[in-house]
Amino acid sequence: MTTAASAVKDQQLSGGPEAPAAAARQVTKAYGAGETRVTALDAVDVDIHRGRFTAIMGPSGSGKSTLMHCLAGLDTVSEGRIWIGDTEITGLKDRQLTKLRRDKIGFIFQSFNLLPTLNALENITLPMDIAGRKPDAAWLDTVVSTVGLADRLKHRPTQLSGGQQQRVAVARALAARPEIIFGDEPTGNLDSRSGSEVLTFLRRSVDELGQTIVMVTHDPVAASYADRVLFLADGRLVDEMHAPTADSVLERMRRFDGKRTS
Amino acid sequence: MLLKTSLRSFFAHKGRMALSLIAVVLSVAFVSGTLVFSNTATATFDKLFATTASDISVRQAVPEANDDEQGGDGERGKPRTVPVETEQKIAALPGVKSVRGEVSVQNAVLTNPLTNKVVGPTSGAPTITGSWHDNQNMLKITSGKAPAGTGQIMLDADTAKKAGLGIGSKLRAITANGDHDFTISGIATFQTTNPGAALAFMDLPTAQNYLLGKTALSSVEVTGDGSKSNGELKAAALATLGDGYKVLTAEEQKAEGKADMGFLDYMKYAMLGFAGISLLVGGFLIINTFSMLVAQRTREIGLLRAIGGSRSQVNRSVLIEALILGVLGSTLGLLAGIGLAIGLIQLMKATGMNLSSADLEIGASVPIASYAVGVVITVLAAWIPARRASRISPMAALRDHGTPAEARANRIRAAIGVLLTAGGAALLAAAAGASTASSGGQLLGLGVVLSLVGLVVIGPLLSTSVIRVLGAALPALFGPSGKLAQRNATRNPRRTGATAAALMIGLALVTGASVVTSSMVSSANEQIDQSVGADYVVASRTNADLTPAMVTAAQGTQGLKHLTLQKSLPVEYLTPDGKRSKEHLAAATKTFVDDFRIPVESGSAQAAFEVGGVAVGSEFAKEHSLRTGDRITADYGQGHTQQLTVGLIIKANSDMFQGTFANLETVTKAVPVAEQPADKAMFAVVADGADPAKVLAALEDSLKAYPQLMITDKAGYKEIIQSQVNTLLYMVYGLLGLAIVVAVLGVVNTLALSVVERTREIGLLRAIGLSRRQLRRMIRLESVVIAIFGALLGTGLGLAWGITSQQVLADSGVALLTVPVTTIVVILLASAVIGLLAALLPAFRAGRMNVLAAIATD
Repeated sequence: MTTAASAVKDQQLSGGPEAPAAAARQVTKAYGAGETRVTALDAVDVDIHRGRFTAIMGPSGSGKSTLMHCLAGLDTVSEGRIWIGDTEITGLKDRQLTKLRRDKIGFIFQSFNLLPTLNALENITLPMDIAGRKPDAAWLDTVVSTVGLADRLKHRPTQLSGGQQQRVAVARALAARPEIIFGDEPTGNLDSRSGSEVLTFLRRSVDELGQTIVMVTHDPVAASYADRVLFLADGRLVDEMHAPTADSVLERMRRFDGKRTS
Repeated sequence: MLLKTSLRSFFAHKGRMALSLIAVVLSVAFVSGTLVFSNTATATFDKLFATTASDISVRQAVPEANDDEQGGDGERGKPRTVPVETEQKIAALPGVKSVRGEVSVQNAVLTNPLTNKVVGPTSGAPTITGSWHDNQNMLKITSGKAPAGTGQIMLDADTAKKAGLGIGSKLRAITANGDHDFTISGIATFQTTNPGAALAFMDLPTAQNYLLGKTALSSVEVTGDGSKSNGELKAAALATLGDGYKVLTAEEQKAEGKADMGFLDYMKYAMLGFAGISLLVGGFLIINTFSMLVAQRTREIGLLRAIGGSRSQVNRSVLIEALILGVLGSTLGLLAGIGLAIGLIQLMKATGMNLSSADLEIGASVPIASYAVGVVITVLAAWIPARRASRISPMAALRDHGTPAEARANRIRAAIGVLLTAGGAALLAAAAGASTASSGGQLLGLGVVLSLVGLVVIGPLLSTSVIRVLGAALPALFGPSGKLAQRNATRNPRRTGATAAALMIGLALVTGASVVTSSMVSSANEQIDQSVGADYVVASRTNADLTPAMVTAAQGTQGLKHLTLQKSLPVEYLTPDGKRSKEHLAAATKTFVDDFRIPVESGSAQAAFEVGGVAVGSEFAKEHSLRTGDRITADYGQGHTQQLTVGLIIKANSDMFQGTFANLETVTKAVPVAEQPADKAMFAVVADGADPAKVLAALEDSLKAYPQLMITDKAGYKEIIQSQVNTLLYMVYGLLGLAIVVAVLGVVNTLALSVVERTREIGLLRAIGLSRRQLRRMIRLESVVIAIFGALLGTGLGLAWGITSQQVLADSGVALLTVPVTTIVVILLASAVIGLLAALLPAFRAGRMNVLAAIATD
């Protein structure tokens, strides 16, 4: 199943334009021990291509969120190694992981993305604030206008609609120019219109701004915005699809359901 | 079902409840401890007075003015005596079984002639010297034998032990009739509680000779044969003896004894003050705890409502939790209070009062009061949150947001708060401008209450604006942690307000008290500088008077320009308005006017110290519409009266010159020298050109046989005032400590809940790169900001209270306002430290929070 061969890993990790933005090798994540041992990820190998929009799909309990959390350095792995760019993150201490997340990673969560005490602009610049960096004004303008929030910057999150809140979250993830953005069901809480707005922005940020994005979703329509879809089942990477459409993804997902019911 | 839910929820939140529990326990402990202690003390002294009181006691009657402060004889003036014939007269009355003439005085001072040190207490409890009689149940001779003859004395065992004296040791008694050395013939031990007094006994003739200077009796103690009541005996005795006698029944003697134990009342009130403070501050803590529990459980309560729970059920479930807390806290507090009482009893033992912790008097009142206080306060404090809980709509269960809607301070509350605060401020201003101290005091009290309540009510509103200003520098100083902390501190104004209010109360009290006390000290110091011309003041450390021998010794000192003698007499004035009023008259030799510069309202000190003149206070003059030159009549009792001319009206701002003043020669015209009380104090001025140090040494040398005397100069006087004020301050600091402990619990509570409530927010922050250190700093800063906000409110309020109090007291000797800047700065800094300390645990917990668990979507 693994399309990215281990053989090319070393070469890829030496950097260069073709190097993956993130890579996982033989990543296993297990909870508990002995008879109660549950394997969430089972020897997963994956490369996330730079400047591409990757979706991770799979039925509930397939390990898709766990994979994302491990790739993003939020969770630790039981076995295996993970790289973000050319930095190996497995084995890093909390402080180094924090710094890595701050400097190289952007996040968009399903809900509760924004601090209620900060206005939209402050939320967008928060990661740079935390890092003690000055935001690049021109880039910030670009990002803000891309997500279409220029007139909402002084609003508090409670004064924004769900879709607007997620767009602010996208802008925050983009503003710091991270090497990679992870989205955990970023449209999961939105109606389809707001959802497509947010996905369009993500798509545009990949096309126009050259951003690398990894998104976990269970929605075939959301997945169809990606360049490539990875399918997970029972903690294993079972398939992948390039240039997906909603229909083809739905079709592929149905096969999981069929397998489960049979 | 309801009880079960409440119980479960109570134990599910034991950490948070524990903090509130401590507050309840503390307050209840103070209440029950106070009650147990005072019950025990009262019971013990009741027993003591019951064993010492005779059926009736016959004494000399004295003018009432002498009676108003202290029932004991010898406190002022000469020892009271009755003629020896009284004994026979009473014995002849029907219904009398036995009579016993006794001598007992409090104005003799005992010293050890070898070490030249005072034997017995120098403050508080008295030294009682008198005649010994075997037939008594208070003391028993435990070694040696009863005193017999002119050279023997007996001492109580506790005093003997403390002074290191035994049988055969020498003991000197210093009285107005001279100094006499005795040999200790026996030691008597208390059979009841020793209230801390020293007791010495001689045989009756010796006591009469040395202590009274004449063959007379201090009192005749009468035992009835049971055929007549004590009241009837009293009436019969008074009828037989005629004027000039006072007869006390056993009940009256007990009441008199209890009046002497007044300091126990002070202790009781001080401790109840502690209880009040911890209750008040604890109340805020409980309100906050329950508000948070309710806020946290919004969804849960919504669900309960959605599945058919009624409002009153929700309300009750919260109140039942409060009830559990109250009962648990009261029980623990009750036990802690008994421990506290035992501790106090041990403390009293160290000061010489032998209360026994075995006789602990608990009684029904203690548990009743403890549970009443603990449970009522807890349930009352939970009332508002419970009401809020019952208003939660079933829709809350369906709402997705984990964080409860942030409470906004509303307009009505704002209006009420502003109104109350403004009213309080207006009352304080009115109090400061009030013409008399008593009306000012009432306005002050009301103003204090109103301004406190007002600030508590508008605290949440103020928090938003004040913290915005306070926190303005935070983002610049501490980067994103500072910015987030500033925002977090203002996001729930009601909670911030309540947390800060708890701190505010304690700090306001302390600031107010320290403004008043430092103003008192500085005013007194200024007065000493301005008014005292005497170089040295000689007075007794004990409440005994000076003796003629001491005066003679002091007068013989070389290098003195003059020595002023002063005595104090009770007097009743008859003023032209026809009223009679009791006053004290300080009668001094004429050089008094050189020793003190009495502040003048009208007239002059010289005129008042002319023979036939008198100086009165301005309040007294106002009350009786007196002017200088008016004539008033002084009645010294025993038929001694005289006309006096008001020569001086003393300005009203003086604490030093209370009562009335006159030349001793004037008084001597009306009261024969033999009937005058002994001198109270001497004032010495060093002769021109003499070396003050040498003169002081000479004065000390002349008086070295009298260790009970204290020679004080101006600096020494200031020290005495400072130390008196310090006693007050230590209590205030004790209060502060307690208030702070409870307030810190409140801050910890608030932060801990905020951390839990903001779990997802903290997870998000950590995910996007906030380090643990930055996170902890954010929480610490929030805590510090809340603490400083509370401290600012507290010190501000305290300053207003303190300054107003000083204004009110300006005419009563606190003319000078001194703001203790150092203390206030220390309070503000300390509050920042308090904030840091309070944040330790919540910050640690936030830092340990699992990022993934925090952001995991549900």
